Amino acid sequence: MTALTTPSLPDSEDDADPRPLPWRRMAGVTWRQHRAALVGMAVLLGALAVWLWIVGASAHHAWAAATACRPVGSADCQDLAAAFNGTWDAMSIPAVLLQVVPALIGAFTGAPVLARELETGTFRFAWTQGFGRRRWVLAKLVALATVLAAAGTAFGALVSWGFQPFSALGNQDLGLYGDSPLVGQFSLREVTFPAWTLTAFAAGALAGMLIRRVVPAIAAALATYAGLAIAAAGLLRERYLPALVTSNPNVPGTAWIIGQWWTKGGRFAFAGNPSPSLVGQFCNFPQSGVSKTGGGLSGAAPAPAPTIQQCLAPHGYVQWTSYQPTSRLWPFQWIEGGWLLALSVLLIAATIWLVHRRAA
Amino acid sequence: MTALTMPARPDADGDASPRPIPWRRMAGVTWRQHRAALASVAVLLGALAVWLWRMGVPLHQAYAAAVACHPAASAACQDLVGGFNSSADGHFMGSKGPGGVLLQVLPALIGAFVGAPVLARELETGTFRFAWTQGFVRWRWALGKLVLLAVVLAVATAAFGALVAWYFQPYGGASPQVPGLFENSPFGDLFSLREVTFPAWTVAAFAIAALAGMLIRRVVPAIVATLAVYAGLAFATAGLLREHYLTPLVTTAVSLPGASTAWVIGQWSTLNGRFAYAGDPPLNLVNQYCGSNSGAKGGPPGAVFTQCLAPHGYVQWTSYQPTSRLWPFQWIEGGWLLALSALLIAVTVWLVQRRAA
Repeated sequence: MTALTTPSLPDSEDDADPRPLPWRRMAGVTWRQHRAALVGMAVLLGALAVWLWIVGASAHHAWAAATACRPVGSADCQDLAAAFNGTWDAMSIPAVLLQVVPALIGAFTGAPVLARELETGTFRFAWTQGFGRRRWVLAKLVALATVLAAAGTAFGALVSWGFQPFSALGNQDLGLYGDSPLVGQFSLREVTFPAWTLTAFAAGALAGMLIRRVVPAIAAALATYAGLAIAAAGLLRERYLPALVTSNPNVPGTAWIIGQWWTKGGRFAFAGNPSPSLVGQFCNFPQSGVSKTGGGLSGAAPAPAPTIQQCLAPHGYVQWTSYQPTSRLWPFQWIEGGWLLALSVLLIAATIWLVHRRAA
Repeated sequence: MTALTMPARPDADGDASPRPIPWRRMAGVTWRQHRAALASVAVLLGALAVWLWRMGVPLHQAYAAAVACHPAASAACQDLVGGFNSSADGHFMGSKGPGGVLLQVLPALIGAFVGAPVLARELETGTFRFAWTQGFVRWRWALGKLVLLAVVLAVATAAFGALVAWYFQPYGGASPQVPGLFENSPFGDLFSLREVTFPAWTVAAFAIAALAGMLIRRVVPAIVATLAVYAGLAFATAGLLREHYLTPLVTTAVSLPGASTAWVIGQWSTLNGRFAYAGDPPLNLVNQYCGSNSGAKGGPPGAVFTQCLAPHGYVQWTSYQPTSRLWPFQWIEGGWLLALSALLIAVTVWLVQRRAA
C-alpha cells in the first residue's frame, strides 16, 4: 500500500494533464448542449435572408432600371425613380428592426453557456471532468463565437448587398432615394454584424457567470448592448477618424454630414441651416417652411442649398461642412469591428478568469 | 379504525375547498416570485419615460411657439416653423427617426420576459410540485398570478403609452393649421404605442408567453417562441388587418380633409364611371394629356396629373381613414388584443388544471 505510486486521477484544476483530452471532443458536447440555440439562430437568419433576398433583388432591379433610363428627367424616368423609391418604403422599417437581431442572437446564445450550468447545478459535473474547467469554458465559448461570427458575416454580406442601391453614388442627382453607407445599415454589414453579435454573445456569457441565472443574464446582456449601441451610433462613430471640413457646397450625396455651420468674415455666424428670415432677407425666392436638411430623405426635391449659398455668399456668409467621405466606409468598418472584437475577447477572458477563480 | 370518518385533507384537485384561501394572499406570493422582472420593467420604463419627458418638453415648446406665432407668414414665424420641422426630420426620436420604430420591440420584450417564467420556471425547476399542491388549488394559483401580473403590466404600460402619445402629439396635427408645419398621420408606426394599444400589445405578449411556457415548459425557448409569434402578429396587424377595422371612406376630392394626417389606403381613377387604373396614371396617358414638364419636382406627381387628366373625364378616387377614427381604431385594436389575451390565459389555466400533477 505504501509503495503504490500509480498516478492518482488527474486533478481537474491542473492544466498540465498528463494526457490532455483533445479539443475537438468539445465540439460534439457544445453542439449537443446548444443545438437548440444554434438551430433557432439558423432559422431566424435563414428566414430574414429569404426576405432580404426578395426585397433586395427587387431593389436592385428597380435601381438598374432607374439609372439606365434616358433622358434623365422624362416622365418615363421619373416613374422608374418613383418605383425605386417605393422599394425603400417597404424596407425602411424592417431595416431599423434588423438592428435588434445581433443583440437577440448574441444574448440568447451567450447567456445560457454558463448561467444554465450554474442555475441547474450541472456545472459540478461538467467542470470536474478530465478536460479541465478552464478549457471546457474556453472551448465552448470560442466554438460558439466562431459559429456566430461565420453566420453573422454571411448575413451581413447579404445586408450590404440588399441595401447597396440605396447608398449608390449619384442617386440624388437622379432623384433617387439615397443615404450614406456610414449611417443606416452601417452596423449590419460584413464586419460589423458579426462584431456586434460577438459583443452581445460575450456580454451574455459574462453576465451569465456573474448573475448565474439565464433570464436575468439575457436581460442584462440586452440592456448592455442597447447602451453600447446607442453610445457607438450617437457619440463614438463620427469620431473614428477626424472629419473632413470643406467650404465646397457640393459634398457628395453619400458622404456622412457630421455638421454644418456658417461663418461671416472669418467668424462663426450660426450652425445648421440659415434661418428662413435670413434667407428671406437676402434671397429673392419664396421660402417654404419645409426643412431642407442634408438627411436626403426625399430625393424628389433637389436640395435648394446651392441657391441659398449663392445668394448669401455676396454678403460674406460661407458655409462649412464637416463630413466623413464615403471612401472611409471600410476603415470605419474595421475600426468598429476591431474595437468590438477586442472588447469581446476581453469579456470572454474575464469570464474564463472568473470560472477559474470560482471555488468549485 | 373502520368508523373513522374524519374528512380527508381536501384534494388538491378539488375545486370546492371547504374554506378557500383568500385571493389576496396570492399577491404577496406573486410579488416575491416576480419582483425582479417587475422591478426591471419599472426601471426600463422609468428611464425611458424620463428621457422622453426631457426631450418632449422642448419639442412641445417649439410646437407651441410655432403655432402661436402671428402673422404666420412673417419671417420670424417661418424661423419657428423651420426649427420645429427640423426636429421631425433629423432627430433620433423625430417623427421620421428610427427611435419610434425601435420602441416597437418594447411590448414584446416586456411581455415575453415577464410572462414566460410564470409557469415555465415552475415546470423547469420542478417547484410546481410544491406550488400546485397547496391548499390554494392549482388553477387558482395560475389564474391569480397571471391576472395580477397582467393588470400590473397593463397599468404601467398604459401610463407609458400616454407619455409616448404626448411626446408625438406635436407631429400628429389635429391643431390649428399653420402653413408648412410638419404633420404626420397618427395611424403611422406609432399607432401601436399609444395609451390603449401599448398595454394591449404588452398583455398580448404576456399571454402568449404564459401559454408558450406552459406548452414548452422551458423559460428561454418560451421567450424565443413568444418573440417569434409576436413578430408575426404585429406584422400581420400593421400590414393587413388595421386598415380594415372600419370601411374606409371614399372621396373624389383631390385634397383630403385633414390632408396630411389622414391615412390614405388606396387611390384609383375612373373614366366615365368605369375603372381606369390604380395608383399613378400610366405613362401614355400622362404623355398624351399632360405637358412635357408636368412631372413637377417637389410636389406629389399624382396631384398634378389628376388636375390635367380631369378635363378628359378621369376622376381620381381616394380611399382613406380620417384622423377622427384614431380613437375608434385604438379601441378596436385594444379590444381584440384584450380578447385574444383573455382567451390565451384561459387556455393556459385550463392546461394547468388538466395536466397530471
